[in-house]
Amino acid sequence: MTTATAVTAASTGNAGARVLRVLLTQRIALLAVLIVAVVITFFVQDAGGYLTAPYDFDYMSASLINAVPLAMLGLAELLVILSGRGGIDLSVGAIVSLAGMIFGFAYGEWGWPLWAAIVLTALFGALLGAVNGFLVSYIGFPALIATLATYYAYKSLAIVINNQEPISTPPIQKLFSISESVELPLFGQYVPDVPLGIFTFLLPTVVAVWLLLARTTYGRRLYAIGTNDVAARWSGLPVRDTRFKAYVYAGVLSGLVAVVTVGQFASARPDAGVSGNGMALPAITIAVLGGVAITGGIGRVSGVVLATLLIVWLNAGILLAFVGNEGSQYQLLALGAVLVFAALLNGLTNRRYGGTA
Amino acid sequence: MSVGTGALGRRRVLPAPVTGQEFVLVGVIALLWVALAVSTPAFLTAGSIQPLLVATAPVALVGVGMTIVIVTGGIDVSVGGAIMVCSVLTAKALVEAEVNLGVAVLLSVAVGGVLGLVNGVLIAYGRVHAIIITFGTANLFMFLGLRIFGSGTVNGIPGTLAFFGRGPDGRTLGVPHAFGITVLITAAAWWYLRHTAGGRHFFAIGGDAQAARLAGVRVQRRVLLAYLITGLLVGLASCFVIAQGTSTLDQSVGSGKELAVIAAVVIGGTSIMGGRGSVLGTLLGALLVQSVASGVTQLGWRSQLSDLFVGLFIIVAVGADLLRARARRNR
Repeated sequence: MTTATAVTAASTGNAGARVLRVLLTQRIALLAVLIVAVVITFFVQDAGGYLTAPYDFDYMSASLINAVPLAMLGLAELLVILSGRGGIDLSVGAIVSLAGMIFGFAYGEWGWPLWAAIVLTALFGALLGAVNGFLVSYIGFPALIATLATYYAYKSLAIVINNQEPISTPPIQKLFSISESVELPLFGQYVPDVPLGIFTFLLPTVVAVWLLLARTTYGRRLYAIGTNDVAARWSGLPVRDTRFKAYVYAGVLSGLVAVVTVGQFASARPDAGVSGNGMALPAITIAVLGGVAITGGIGRVSGVVLATLLIVWLNAGILLAFVGNEGSQYQLLALGAVLVFAALLNGLTNRRYGGTA
Repeated sequence: MSVGTGALGRRRVLPAPVTGQEFVLVGVIALLWVALAVSTPAFLTAGSIQPLLVATAPVALVGVGMTIVIVTGGIDVSVGGAIMVCSVLTAKALVEAEVNLGVAVLLSVAVGGVLGLVNGVLIAYGRVHAIIITFGTANLFMFLGLRIFGSGTVNGIPGTLAFFGRGPDGRTLGVPHAFGITVLITAAAWWYLRHTAGGRHFFAIGGDAQAARLAGVRVQRRVLLAYLITGLLVGLASCFVIAQGTSTLDQSVGSGKELAVIAAVVIGGTSIMGGRGSVLGTLLGALLVQSVASGVTQLGWRSQLSDLFVGLFIIVAVGADLLRARARRNR
């Protein structure tokens, strides 16, 4: 997407220029086009017999289970980054580990009913998020530093709390049903089965965050403090309180992801959210790819959801295109390339059309 | 950080050569060492301190580059991936081409330089926030590193790099070479940042990039240079990493190092907002983190507990700095 193509588009007529402008300024449109492109590419590859297993609607639907933690943490980062002043949360993965252990204790060892264990885990996530929020909003720590510190602290606690042992008692193992696919009622036989976690966790979260941002006073305040901290304070908004709550909500979402992750692994693992590359980096990547401005105040739920679908279906296709563990390596390449591309595109868009990303 | 007065009563332009944070860090490290020496008599022996210094070297060395990057107002979260690429390439060269020490170091530093250049060009000329670009390149570097690994580990690395290792070959007069080199480079960087115009430009950019540009600083080149320096130091640090390990290099090399380096820089008193920082502090920060890790192991505690202390140190170090800044504003 260079200036040269932009010039050609403009000279071939108004329609071309308008399409380009929409693609560059409307992240939703760009993501939608990219998703269609990715899916068509893999369908063609599949038809040509280049993949190791069929890439069809059933496979795409089954791969959605990976979208659940990714999208929920992406939304957590959305809330925090929106709040501005360099807002970012590096600790989400460590919260997932630690809250997951708490869930493991409550549900797997203390024998709490499932709903009570989930509520406890969400509240515990909120508490961990509140520590971040307090440090950032009330004490004035840069978010990167505060959440780096709590990342280390939570990660360490999660490992020490149960002597590095995972919890996988029978009730925890039965939770695996979360990630199984179910047939939808009424018209279920005509469409692919969908992972249960989509309905129990992802959709309610997406709707709740969307309502929070688009339909409540709190949402408007969050955008206001992210756009201009000083102006918001002079307008009499409770700046500190609003920013504090953004980190608390991010903690709640991370707590819920902990439950999903425990279900997926059928075990509460002390390193669930921080092993390998961790969960925070992919979540931040998803948010940025979804058009969230790292400077705060700009970003939408739909962008994050579409960015998740793009990455999940791209990754699912890459897994089939390579043999063995090469697939997981090329996923890194894809994630990195897409992120750098999106970031450079944001810069270009800002210069060309002036700040509407 | 008191502002002294010169002979003519003018306000000093340069900050004090050693900051308050650094004195505090020296005090904390001294206290920690005394406490550890009292509780485990084996701590204050050469056999315990020398490996500690060797282990400090890579984080401190990359930290010097990271300090410069953060002083310009940027950040580099791709150093973990870059360490992976440099060390696996160098390890493969050692095993398959049996290169000698000099070639291995040159190769590693050159590769690190190229990776740093990629970051620098994208950040300086793409005008994108550094954290986003380096998150992206971190993934790309890890991909590269894993591809070079192929499947599995690099085995049978010869002892060519023992010069930087923990063995007797890695010491002169009891001082580990890796740590000595790190101290020399830190000292050079300290002088460069404090006493040359080029060095001061980094601080100017971090303070206010627009003002720096108007004052004639070539901002983009300076920013590019900061990431290039980091890349070169990553290359050298990767040699230390290989030398410290066994004859086998596995795929987890470099993983999480970016956060360890940033933690050392931040504990050392460098402001993440840019414009203020010191490489001496970074060296001390790295030493403190490593002392805690070593102390936790020697006390027989679970080794992961040291991360909890790292988190607390970051909070205390930065919190104290915030309080001092608030006190300065209110004065």
